[in-house]
Amino acid sequence: MPAAFAASRPGRGQPFADVVAENLDAVYRYLVYLTGDRVAAEDLAAETFEKAYRGWRRFDPARSAPRTWLCRIAHSVAVDWFRAEARRTRREDNYMRDADMLQESVFADGFSPELDQALHRLSPAEREVVALRVLLELDGPSAARVLGISHTACSTRLSRALKRLEEEVGDVRG
Amino acid sequence: MSADEFVGHEALIAALRAGTLDAPDHLQRRLLAGSTTKRRRWRDMSHRRQALVLIPVMGTLAIGAALVNGALSSSTDPSNSNHRSAELNRLVNGAAFSHGTGPIGAPGPTGAQGPTGPMGETGAQGVTGSSGATGLAGPTGVVHGTASYKYGALATRAGAQKSSKTLDAAGAFSIPKGRLIHATAYLDVTVPNNRALTRATNDATQIVTRLGGYTQTSQINASHRGYGRAFLDLHVPLSRTEDAITKLGKLPGVAVVSQSLSTQDLEQQAQKQTNEISQLQRAIAIYKQALNSGTLTGSQRVDVQIKLADAQRQITGTRKAHGKTVKSGTTAEIRLSLATKHQAVVAVHHKRGRLGRLLHNAAGFLGLEAIIVLYILIVAFPIAVLLALLWWLTRGRQRRDEKRLLASA
Repeated sequence: MPAAFAASRPGRGQPFADVVAENLDAVYRYLVYLTGDRVAAEDLAAETFEKAYRGWRRFDPARSAPRTWLCRIAHSVAVDWFRAEARRTRREDNYMRDADMLQESVFADGFSPELDQALHRLSPAEREVVALRVLLELDGPSAARVLGISHTACSTRLSRALKRLEEEVGDVRG
Repeated sequence: MSADEFVGHEALIAALRAGTLDAPDHLQRRLLAGSTTKRRRWRDMSHRRQALVLIPVMGTLAIGAALVNGALSSSTDPSNSNHRSAELNRLVNGAAFSHGTGPIGAPGPTGAQGPTGPMGETGAQGVTGSSGATGLAGPTGVVHGTASYKYGALATRAGAQKSSKTLDAAGAFSIPKGRLIHATAYLDVTVPNNRALTRATNDATQIVTRLGGYTQTSQINASHRGYGRAFLDLHVPLSRTEDAITKLGKLPGVAVVSQSLSTQDLEQQAQKQTNEISQLQRAIAIYKQALNSGTLTGSQRVDVQIKLADAQRQITGTRKAHGKTVKSGTTAEIRLSLATKHQAVVAVHHKRGRLGRLLHNAAGFLGLEAIIVLYILIVAFPIAVLLALLWWLTRGRQRRDEKRLLASA
């Protein structure tokens, strides 16, 4: 374990490296769901943890769990990425890339093609709430904090996302 | 983890959770190996912690600066620290003149020609004493439509006599005869003690009474520590103004600190009022003649009666104003301020030790710092509010953009 991470937080008891080890998969999964792009998710995860490391001393465990805090950073990083992507896709034809992405399962290994395609059809906002609540198993208030919305709005968004996902899966099968 | 939102979607949830997706090993390696960010202690601190550090540091710096200032100020010789007060004391007490060898300064140039007033001369009573202190000279000013002259002298009683003579010789106190002039004189004098203060106050009242004037207001404050002040608002006939000022300056035990005189020519104002009265008198005579002629119709008669009443009311008001102008133009006001010497040089008697001076100076410096901080806060507060509003608006816009972006991407 690198000394930089191991010794970064002696006062709080938990070295940053442990936080990375505990949450890297979750953050990566969250970013994959949010972006729909594994390569981008890797880069964004790296950027997220870099930012998190810089702000690790400012992190207050009394205010939120490390995972919630990391997801909040990841959300911010991903939004920037989406902005950059939007600018880029305005300049380039992104059709081929999207077509290629559909050839393999993006969101998880072992997913049925129907589920994978259905997830693709959801908006990033819908996939994001599914990732936070279902995969990362964050509670409602934590997920709402990451999304920057109210608990009620988060709950509504999740219900709609799950309903739509069911419908999309049905459509793909049908 | 179960939630109400998951009800009815159990199969889907299970399918989603069944999928495995771990971060690639190379990402973990890259992440852990590539993190060589320098630790920046200050930037790593939370804002709360930064504030907790900053506030005591700023406070310590402020107090330290005040103490350094106090120490530097108090390190000088106590006699030097009160140099200015001592100098003032010496001048007021006449020491500079009684022991001084310097010559009397030459009368200063002046001469502001007022629109209606005569040539005014200001005697710059430059007096150089043994310590090289120079007497103060009053400026000359011109007011709208009036001539205002001021002259002052920082001198002992003897100095004042010389000053008076000089001024008299130059004609500075010569108030024009045969014109309506409102004169206001200011006379600041010191007396040795409270007993002399009371005696000088009584004498001043008697002087103006003998000259045909009166004391309009009189206020005396005296403390048991020997300090005292008195303010007299005296009114004398204009023609006796110079006499009154001279006599007041020569009261026993009195030392003149400063004196000044301002005049306002009211002749033009009085003339205007006289003309207005004449016009109104003529108008009234015409109206009365018209009413007595019996040739007016009913409505014309009413109209003329209204005009007559208006003219009579106006003439009454103008006559009153004219009377006031004449009274003001024939009476001079002398504002006499008397103070005990203890009052004038009270700072000299506050002897402090070095520590006392240090603390006193430090407290003064801290007060100054507080004023500056308060001023900055007052100036910065509206800017901060504007910035906060701007931030809030920008943040709201960013949120909306973000929502749109994630919903449509």
